[in-house]
Amino acid sequence: MIDDNSRRQATGLRAALLLGASLALTACGGGSSGGGSEPPPTPPPPTVSETEAYRFLNQATFGATEAAADAVVANGIEAWIDRQMNAPASLQLPYLRSLPPPDFPGQLQADRVDVWFRNAVDGEDQLRQRVAFALSQIMVVSQLGALDGAPWALADYYDTLAEHAFGNFRDLMEAVTLHPAMGIYLSMLGNQKPNPALNIRPDENYARELMQLFTIGLVELNADGTVQTDASGQPIPTYDQSVIEGFAHVYTGWHFSGAPSFGEARITPFNQTRPMELYEAFHDTGPKKLLAGVTLPAGQSGEQDLRAALDNVFEHPNVGPFIATRLIERLVTSNPSPAYVRRVAETFNDNGAGVRGDLGAVVRAILLDPEARPDDALDTEGKLKEPLLRLTQLWRAYDARSESGAFPFGFAYILLGQGPLQSPSVFNFYSPFYAPPGEIRDRGLVAPELQIATEYQNTLVTNLMLAQAFVNHSENPDLDPDDVYIDIAEEVALADDAQALVDRVAEKLLAGEISPLLADEAVGMVERIPAGDPIARAAEAIYLVASSPEYAYQR
Amino acid sequence: MTAINRREFLKRAGAGAALAACPGLHVAAAPGPFDDYRALVCVFLFGGNDSFNMLVPVSDAEYGVYAASRQNLAIPQADLLPIQPLAADGVDYGLHPSMPEVQTLFDSGRAAFVTNVGPLIRPVTKAGFQAGSAVLPPQLFSHNDQQDQWHSLKGRSQTATGWAGRIADLIRLEVSGQQLATNASLFGNTLFQSAGETVAYVMGPQGPVPFEGFGDSGIFLEQRRAFERIIGAEYGSVYERGFAEVQQRAVAAADRVSGAIASAPELATAFPASQLGEQLATVARLIAVRDELAMERQIFFVATGGFDTHDDQAQLQPGLLAGVSQAVSAFHAATVELGVADSVTTFTQSDFGRTLTSNGDGTDHGWGGIQLVVGDGVRGRELYGDYPLLEIDGPRDVGGGRIIPSLSADQYAATLARWFGIPDGDLAQVAPHLDNFAERDLGFLL
Repeated sequence: MIDDNSRRQATGLRAALLLGASLALTACGGGSSGGGSEPPPTPPPPTVSETEAYRFLNQATFGATEAAADAVVANGIEAWIDRQMNAPASLQLPYLRSLPPPDFPGQLQADRVDVWFRNAVDGEDQLRQRVAFALSQIMVVSQLGALDGAPWALADYYDTLAEHAFGNFRDLMEAVTLHPAMGIYLSMLGNQKPNPALNIRPDENYARELMQLFTIGLVELNADGTVQTDASGQPIPTYDQSVIEGFAHVYTGWHFSGAPSFGEARITPFNQTRPMELYEAFHDTGPKKLLAGVTLPAGQSGEQDLRAALDNVFEHPNVGPFIATRLIERLVTSNPSPAYVRRVAETFNDNGAGVRGDLGAVVRAILLDPEARPDDALDTEGKLKEPLLRLTQLWRAYDARSESGAFPFGFAYILLGQGPLQSPSVFNFYSPFYAPPGEIRDRGLVAPELQIATEYQNTLVTNLMLAQAFVNHSENPDLDPDDVYIDIAEEVALADDAQALVDRVAEKLLAGEISPLLADEAVGMVERIPAGDPIARAAEAIYLVASSPEYAYQR
Repeated sequence: MTAINRREFLKRAGAGAALAACPGLHVAAAPGPFDDYRALVCVFLFGGNDSFNMLVPVSDAEYGVYAASRQNLAIPQADLLPIQPLAADGVDYGLHPSMPEVQTLFDSGRAAFVTNVGPLIRPVTKAGFQAGSAVLPPQLFSHNDQQDQWHSLKGRSQTATGWAGRIADLIRLEVSGQQLATNASLFGNTLFQSAGETVAYVMGPQGPVPFEGFGDSGIFLEQRRAFERIIGAEYGSVYERGFAEVQQRAVAAADRVSGAIASAPELATAFPASQLGEQLATVARLIAVRDELAMERQIFFVATGGFDTHDDQAQLQPGLLAGVSQAVSAFHAATVELGVADSVTTFTQSDFGRTLTSNGDGTDHGWGGIQLVVGDGVRGRELYGDYPLLEIDGPRDVGGGRIIPSLSADQYAATLARWFGIPDGDLAQVAPHLDNFAERDLGFLL
């Protein structure tokens, strides 16, 4: 799972960090001039405050920046969404295809993560990328496992999610189902009709997980996402084993496209990015039991069976509240009210023009809902930021880059406990139902992201923030071309005024909403560092804010 | 220094005050009744281990049934490693050829198998299953639900605690001098160790990592203190509070545990360079410093994945089982080296057994399976429970070769919990369905 190369990279970073942090804390850097910002032109009367713009952007992008917030304030949230939905997708596969043959196996997986970060940090299609990232945590495939040798398949899978992010969910279901990345990951690829003489029956893997994890879940839901119960108070299962077997028979006969035969189909760099192809002789032609009492008739083609089966799942009333809940959790809050889920689910069921499954309308409904950014502060609003989002927000706010242009973070899943298409299993990095012991569980709430915020992972991420602030910054002349550094020139220029320095960091990372305690502690620590070391002062302020609970919170 | 003396020493040294400021660690005055050290080590095999290929009948008749069921996934009869159980049931058994280390442990009396165990609420018959009258754990054959059943034994209840977590709660007053939580995971948060009163500590596969930039003097100490005040503040949202609590536990434990591990002498036992080997080596190092940390009872969670062999099972299973065999055997050797082999019991759990039928080149999700128990506290060289006839449509097959368990995960857990020191009267809190089964103790521990 954890390959040696990633471990070396992680260990190397720790060593550099130990060395660099102590150097930075003791050595005096030379002063450097910060870029003075000119007062902005007077905007039209704002309908969105700067603070609300920040909140919105942390829901809809890989991290709010002042420039993006200014655009939202100037044009309004709806106009911003409109523009984003029309922006073309930043893709991964063309980049991977443009690269020369790799030096070592696995390099292309690191390159795939690299281009993910490029798109996340600098992509113009922020909303699309953020929704694709959310979808990649619902319809999960992962590099960790059989897809380790299929980087192009993973890149193209992610591109597929990005391209369908505002399209129709039924189309997304079919694209995902026939994608060879999913075919390999959940073993629909090569699945064939029964052979009773050899005790061979169809593979149930994809049949089960498409329903359990991607579309309807295990139990019948009300329209507001709450669980239906029977007379004895027990949840009502959405399907039983016989239904799984029915769908397992549907998903037979598919393999890599363009092969001479089903038995001779082998992975190539090119067929792994083309939809799987039906080999009719390997498709089961018997009747197949589906959801809602439907049975597909015998004798249909594999294509007919597939379309009818996906329609059957898509029409299940659970899909709206299920997908609404999953997407709200990824974008806005861990604990939406049933009313919020219902409103979004109703949009899924009908976008206002009679269309079911319009994901663009669903995303819009999620982000424009009054509960997305309510005025009255409940302590259950918002969510914990995923570790990746804590990092990308810092990088976006501080214009992070490397001289080579690369973001060499192929080991993200070790360092952060999550990485793009690097889930430990199809169950994602965390369960949507995770509730840590104590207040959250006692109150019947959930906090999925807290499942990977363990003592261990939190320490690693905190140390990463320290390394970023103290070592990998614009004032360090000794960086390697691949080191991702943040631009701290402005902070360094403010370093002789601890309060002004902390205020500026708080503006960039917290929209100015810093707690008095954190501000006081940061100012106090900055003042402990000699004024002659403005770099360490700037780094200290950034470190304490970026590692704080309030920065980890998406409000 | 004995454990009790050390506890007194630590108390006098002010450890109690330090602990009081540390959420997740238990504080109480009463010294415990434990006068020894015991540890349970759960090795979770994520994905569902195809354990009917791990321990296989070798006798001709039973092997013939097995081979007919498993077809191209059957292990050749001549390749199976023979084992010599003390009490024969009339059938010979053999191990998967990739597990010679476990063969040695078994034949030397250090290992046992618990056969055909799985999540149950009450005993289930095939007739009852088919008639729909059986009371079943919900969502059989689903990964996360059945993992949750193994972790929590919750049956049809909404329980959100795990059975290791409930054990830790039950003994929390007795082990109040411990410097580290009873439950420690080297594989992330797990329902298994989730509790009502106590909190598990999660470390990395090589143990805790220190916070960089923190130190004992000067600016580095100031840094640590400022950080501690920030994470110790009052926060307005449940998410910040939950996050800050983890940070508090991390800062409080990292130095203490890392320091203790660093002070431990190097083990002579070599561990395999695998995910499981790395975690178990760390567990061995933690056990080596049990006195420094005043530990009396510990439950470790380690895990490895890849057992969900829907595809390429014949190619993948040898490596998977070899990994378990080598790591578990090395860990047992380390406990011998540390002189605690009779105080440490290692046991496996896994989502479910797998279908006896194949899907062409792999297997799907089943139910009952076989678990491995290792340690010098084990009444080894025995199979506990009836090994089922591996027959498609046989007396315990509910379809496709999904085998109804004969023993419940509750019985398995209760046997381990009793050895760990939980009195009989409290076992129902650990294993809530124990009263539904005849045997309260499967007898595989001394």
